[in-house]
Amino acid sequence: MMSPAALTRRAAPVLACIGLLAVWQIASLVLKNDSFPTAMEAIRAIPDILGDKESLINILASLRRMALGFAVAVLISIPLGLLMGRSRSVAAFFNPLLMVVYPVPKAALMPIIMLWLGVGDITKTLVIFLGVSLPVIYHSFEGAKAVEEKMLWSGAAMGLSPAQRLVRIVLPAALPEILTGCRTGLVLALITMITSEMIARQSGAGNILFNALDMGQYDTVFAMIIIVGAMGICFDAIFERVRARLVRWSEPQFDMPLSFS
Amino acid sequence: MTAVPARSSEWVRPVTLPEPASAIIEIDRVSQVFQTSARKDHVALSDISLTIEEGAFVSILGPSGCGKSTLLYIVGGFVSPTSGAAKMKGQVITGPGPDRGPVFQEFALFPWKTVLGNVMYGPRQQGVRAAEAEAQSRALIEMVGLKGYENFYPKELSGGMKQRVALARTLAYHPEVLLMDEPFGALDAHTRTRLQNDLLNIWERDRKTVLFVTHSVDEAVFLSDKVVMMSKSPGRIRAVIDIDLPRPRRRTELLLDPRYQKHVVDIERMFDESDEAGPSL
Repeated sequence: MMSPAALTRRAAPVLACIGLLAVWQIASLVLKNDSFPTAMEAIRAIPDILGDKESLINILASLRRMALGFAVAVLISIPLGLLMGRSRSVAAFFNPLLMVVYPVPKAALMPIIMLWLGVGDITKTLVIFLGVSLPVIYHSFEGAKAVEEKMLWSGAAMGLSPAQRLVRIVLPAALPEILTGCRTGLVLALITMITSEMIARQSGAGNILFNALDMGQYDTVFAMIIIVGAMGICFDAIFERVRARLVRWSEPQFDMPLSFS
Repeated sequence: MTAVPARSSEWVRPVTLPEPASAIIEIDRVSQVFQTSARKDHVALSDISLTIEEGAFVSILGPSGCGKSTLLYIVGGFVSPTSGAAKMKGQVITGPGPDRGPVFQEFALFPWKTVLGNVMYGPRQQGVRAAEAEAQSRALIEMVGLKGYENFYPKELSGGMKQRVALARTLAYHPEVLLMDEPFGALDAHTRTRLQNDLLNIWERDRKTVLFVTHSVDEAVFLSDKVVMMSKSPGRIRAVIDIDLPRPRRRTELLLDPRYQKHVVDIERMFDESDEAGPSL
């Protein structure tokens, strides 16, 4: 049996969603604007999109690019960040470069990349890759830097080589921080995915959204926003599950209660 | 080695006499200078020479900042001396190795590993089969008094328990020398006393060579065969004192023993005499 407090906590996100939709519904009814459909209208448009083969192919293509961009970015950024965190010379080389790239909105680079690589998958995947890389590099770097020297010494005394120490001590010790970076990266992957499709209009979830906008199908526009938002929430929730499992050893023993109940 | 005849009434066979205690660690004119800023150098250790005999429990005692931990790190191979050399069994120490096992004040356990995982780490790295490493590690965990905690993560343990795990983890790969860097410095007085007693009990079983850094006079006298007193700025050896108290030592008996009290008082007086490291010790 769940206690009333636990039940409230579980139900909170659902209640928040319902509340948001209710406010939307009322606002739309009050404003009576053509470009602002009611929540019910938008929700009714969702099955049409998800039932349409063309749309599904588009959404899946988006997700494929997102997955590829995210995976490649993580695979390159984690080792790079860890090396930067443990080696002064590697950090000295890459830090200025990253400092310059960091504040530049990655979507702003798209025109140039499109010029070079066309408007196809490579360009969009590359932009996603760039968007994901920086937070993952940054958090891996910070995580590696914070690894206790004495822990590495203990490993060295057991006979671990520098490379073994990086993989078998720095990587697990920095994992909580790395996964925080990956979580930010995952959301950024979704954002850059939509942004890239907004600029290079050819296919994808972003394309459906902006095509609908051009044609004045506002219920489809809002339905797509709901779909993309729901995808974001799902990915984040799944990732959070995986993360919590991987770093159970580092979580505080008694988690902060979400409310004062 | 010498062969001597046994009593003439018995048949003669060679008898191996124990060899005289031999040096296991030699510290030869070691100096360590840290560059604190572009113009200023800090001499942490100045011309230190010290020989540690096999099987001895040696404490390095001194005020904070006298370079005693640095000296231990040099023997561990974690820090290279600016000049001079430390030798282990005649070989110049150039890096860390499993023959010298550190135990740090900060515990430095692997937080993603359970107690058992931490203790097994060294033997596994050394190529000991999993089943064998596990059996040995479980025995060690029991020896340090943590039976039942094998599957706990470090974050679930108290400071004293963490240090017990750290000791077991180091003992697990059978180092010839234990390098203990103020291991009980972060613990409360009660836990500290219990761990001192337990360390002595464990040590008295196999008498591994121990180099033990501390700033507590009582701790040094209670545990050691020899106390190396250091002074600071620059870090130098002031005196080496033999502690001739009988073993096995019981803390409660020792506290009443005039010889123990005399050692403690003598050492404290010597520190009081020195200008830099007076009563602040």
